[in-house]
Amino acid sequence: MSVHDDHWMFYFDPNRCIGCHACSVSCKQRHNRDADADDWRTVSHVSSGEYPDFREIPISMSCMHCHDAPCEQVCPPDAIIKRDEDGIVTVDRDRCIGCHYCAWACPFGAPTYDEEGLMSKCNLCLGEGPGGGHGQPKRETPEDGGTVPACVDDCVGGAIKAGPKSEIMQEVSEEAAERFEQGAYEGRVIVEPLEEDGELADSIRGGDELSIVDMAR
Amino acid sequence: MSSDETVDLTRRRLLQTGAAVTAAAAIGGCLSSSEEPDPATTPTADEEYAYGNCWMCHHACGQELTVREGTAVDITGVDEHPRGSAGPDTPGTLCPKGQAELEKLYDPDRITEPHIRKDGELEAVDWDEAIEFTAQRLQEFDDEHGAEKMLDATSWSTTNFHEFFWGNLYGTPERIGRGRHVCFGGPHLSGDLMGLGANMRFVDYQHSEYIIAWGRNIFESFAGQWEPKGVLEALDNGATLVVVDPQHTPTAEKADHWLPIEPRTDGALALAMGHVILEEGLYDEDFVENETHGFEAYEEAVADKTPEWAEDITGIDADVIREVAIGFAEAAPAAGIALWTGVGQYGEAQKASQNVFALNGLVGNIDRPGGFRMWQAPPLANPFEVRDIDLPNNAEGTTPALRAYDEYETYPFRHTTGIGHTVVPEMVDNGHLMGIFCHYDNPLTDGSTQAWLEALETMDLVITIDAYWNELTRHADVVFPEAIQLEKDTLINYAPTWSAYHDRRWISGSKAVHEPLGEARPGFEILVDLAEEMGWGEFVPWESEAEYNEDMLANIDYTFEEVAEQNFVLLEEFGYEQWQENGFPTATGKFQFDLDQEEGYAQSAMELGIETGPQWLPPGTWGDEPDDEYPLHFYDTRSVFFSFGADQPLAQLHEQYARKHTLETEDYRGNYLVLNPRDAEPRGIETGDMVTVESPAGSGELMAYVSERTRPGFTTAEFGFGTGNSHEEGMNTMLVHDDQHDPVSSQPDRHLAVEVSANGGDN
Repeated sequence: MSVHDDHWMFYFDPNRCIGCHACSVSCKQRHNRDADADDWRTVSHVSSGEYPDFREIPISMSCMHCHDAPCEQVCPPDAIIKRDEDGIVTVDRDRCIGCHYCAWACPFGAPTYDEEGLMSKCNLCLGEGPGGGHGQPKRETPEDGGTVPACVDDCVGGAIKAGPKSEIMQEVSEEAAERFEQGAYEGRVIVEPLEEDGELADSIRGGDELSIVDMAR
Repeated sequence: MSSDETVDLTRRRLLQTGAAVTAAAAIGGCLSSSEEPDPATTPTADEEYAYGNCWMCHHACGQELTVREGTAVDITGVDEHPRGSAGPDTPGTLCPKGQAELEKLYDPDRITEPHIRKDGELEAVDWDEAIEFTAQRLQEFDDEHGAEKMLDATSWSTTNFHEFFWGNLYGTPERIGRGRHVCFGGPHLSGDLMGLGANMRFVDYQHSEYIIAWGRNIFESFAGQWEPKGVLEALDNGATLVVVDPQHTPTAEKADHWLPIEPRTDGALALAMGHVILEEGLYDEDFVENETHGFEAYEEAVADKTPEWAEDITGIDADVIREVAIGFAEAAPAAGIALWTGVGQYGEAQKASQNVFALNGLVGNIDRPGGFRMWQAPPLANPFEVRDIDLPNNAEGTTPALRAYDEYETYPFRHTTGIGHTVVPEMVDNGHLMGIFCHYDNPLTDGSTQAWLEALETMDLVITIDAYWNELTRHADVVFPEAIQLEKDTLINYAPTWSAYHDRRWISGSKAVHEPLGEARPGFEILVDLAEEMGWGEFVPWESEAEYNEDMLANIDYTFEEVAEQNFVLLEEFGYEQWQENGFPTATGKFQFDLDQEEGYAQSAMELGIETGPQWLPPGTWGDEPDDEYPLHFYDTRSVFFSFGADQPLAQLHEQYARKHTLETEDYRGNYLVLNPRDAEPRGIETGDMVTVESPAGSGELMAYVSERTRPGFTTAEFGFGTGNSHEEGMNTMLVHDDQHDPVSSQPDRHLAVEVSANGGDN
């Protein structure tokens, strides 16, 4: 299964991520979420080695709106929908029963659950607030009057991008495009390879065995 | 607007309402049509936009706010902003601090009413009473002590009006600032006297081929986002990044060379690099010959400073020192050094920074593309002159206590400055300073905290303009609640120089998003009212900060309204090598390796028995040296989430700070003591344990974060928490500071020797 050209995707460049959490805060504020609520977009700092051979790599993640949306497949009340028109995965909180199956299925740990026990997660700023994406019209690009997703809008290093696959592919390095076409991260997100040598970078280059998700956990 | 109405408009209130509505919708499956839509999450509501210039770390990145039904609901950056973008055709963003100003706008913990001390207790009063009371107390203070015993400690006001108020009108010569006095005094003084200027921090990043972040963590602690963005752009263009830092940082992570240096040995590394550059004949002979003074002293200072000599001191391999020195010199003039507080806040920092800055003169990178840039400010006018106001100088004939009294003859820095932070408590004890005015300034965070707490008790009059309660405001006689930047008509006149535009002057401004919270008012208006009450009405014709801003722009082809409408405007161009025409602003008119011609400096140097030229001063010459009893180095750091007291209380920030350390499940939301496992294990300390940091001066408690990020023997904690700060959880790092300082510059020495112990028991 591959991503449709007009389906939205995230792109992440760890070389440009400065680990500042601006994406997490921006997401929280755009969606009017309490500071202590679980983040829809998280930043993890993956460290290894002993001083001074120490490394710490920041990784920003959220729902990746997977082409194969494992969460949608396991959702008993069909509250989760992978939308045909733009590929965004939304949740209808009126249908959600808070069973957490989606959390088990998600490779990125994206679903969060609030005090009501209902699932909420990144809706690519299709709407605002929990469940804000459900039932919204097709997402437009900023050029056509759509919003810039909050995390992209305030990414200080310019490390996060989002857009229809055909547009994102124009902006990525040849190496990242190649790896994506070869099925890196199961085609769910486009990630630039780390420029630096080092154990973690090698692990990422190694591809399937150690995904960024494993690194972040 | 009454305070009650304002409180109802807070975002928190809206948030609660919003949550209730959402819950109802979830249960009922639909939203009753009689319910008002929640403006915070209903984009279809009436939407407007407003600008700000971020005042969280005071470096003024442009802010754009979405306002629905009079409430700001979202905030982001301004494209192409000089401070908040990478320059032309690049997007503007906001770092976490800048975003959290939205939270501050509606923070219910802010002070929103004026308070005065009546019968020993602070009491909320209305503005008329507060102004009247303060004017009367100031008059009594002048009668009893003399105006010259009042200290103006304004830090982050949004205008320079305080200088005229306290100096010209009230008539005190006592003034303490930030850069020179508490932030980076040593480099500030070195830069100023050597010819780089006091703003000696910034590289022309975008054009640089070789950047040395010397004791700087540019990706986490920056003076505007243009800095990390500029460095990333340079890296994209193939530049080499070198980081000199005892601790691993996000900047070190992205560096080509991380030099994990023995703390406080920067001066030795710099001299050895100079030695290599001279030995290899890689220095700029033309520049040195024609544009510099004191090269002989420099040659002499580096003659025996081989990389092997420096390896023993710094712990950096001689080969690496050689490689970096050659790389830097070969890339010059497109090579620059970014240096700020890391080589600014220890006892020997003035001399260390002089050694580092000498490298700029040696390779001739000054004001050349990709090197050290001499930014130019817009030609802002003096509003008093614009209005032809015959302003008296009531401070005339007065002398700052530091120079007026024999008691302070032991302080060599009195030859180059009028005050020092660590000497103020002594001056209060001696009855030479009896009052203080703090405007967004908290001396309790800046060193000698315990002595300062006593000094505040002793002072006869403490006036503050602030937004939060803390040990300073609680000790004050008058507390004026200040409107935050987003609630004011603000023209950024604090050094609008360094930016992503290497060749353009610029100015940035914005109008209030809406009325201030509660009874809070712009600090400018507070001082104007006070001036009128003091009988100085004829000298202060301005009704508002906007009017004052208008006069500041008298020499610029834009009105305040026009600037604020666009958020920023670019002004005229300026070229490189401005020294060709103007020379250097020094005693000799040249870049000075040797400061022998600077009279005040030469006098200080003589008293201290040090050279006027570059010189190696080992750590411990004036600063602490760890010993058996206090075996660990302790230094404070800045994370991307906080700057001064302005942002620590905000929940979004301390929450993300906790998450970054994977300590979010703990209740604790203070700062963390970072220590290496090799120091933690013998002390039985694990991440999440509460620990005590102790020095001969005192102790404090905070939570441990054990990490290989830091050097064994070198512990650090984030600045701006604990007793004395507005976020009182955690440890004020200056509780363990006595009066250590750099005797050349007066800068408090924040590098201390401590012992750390586990508190034991449950957290």
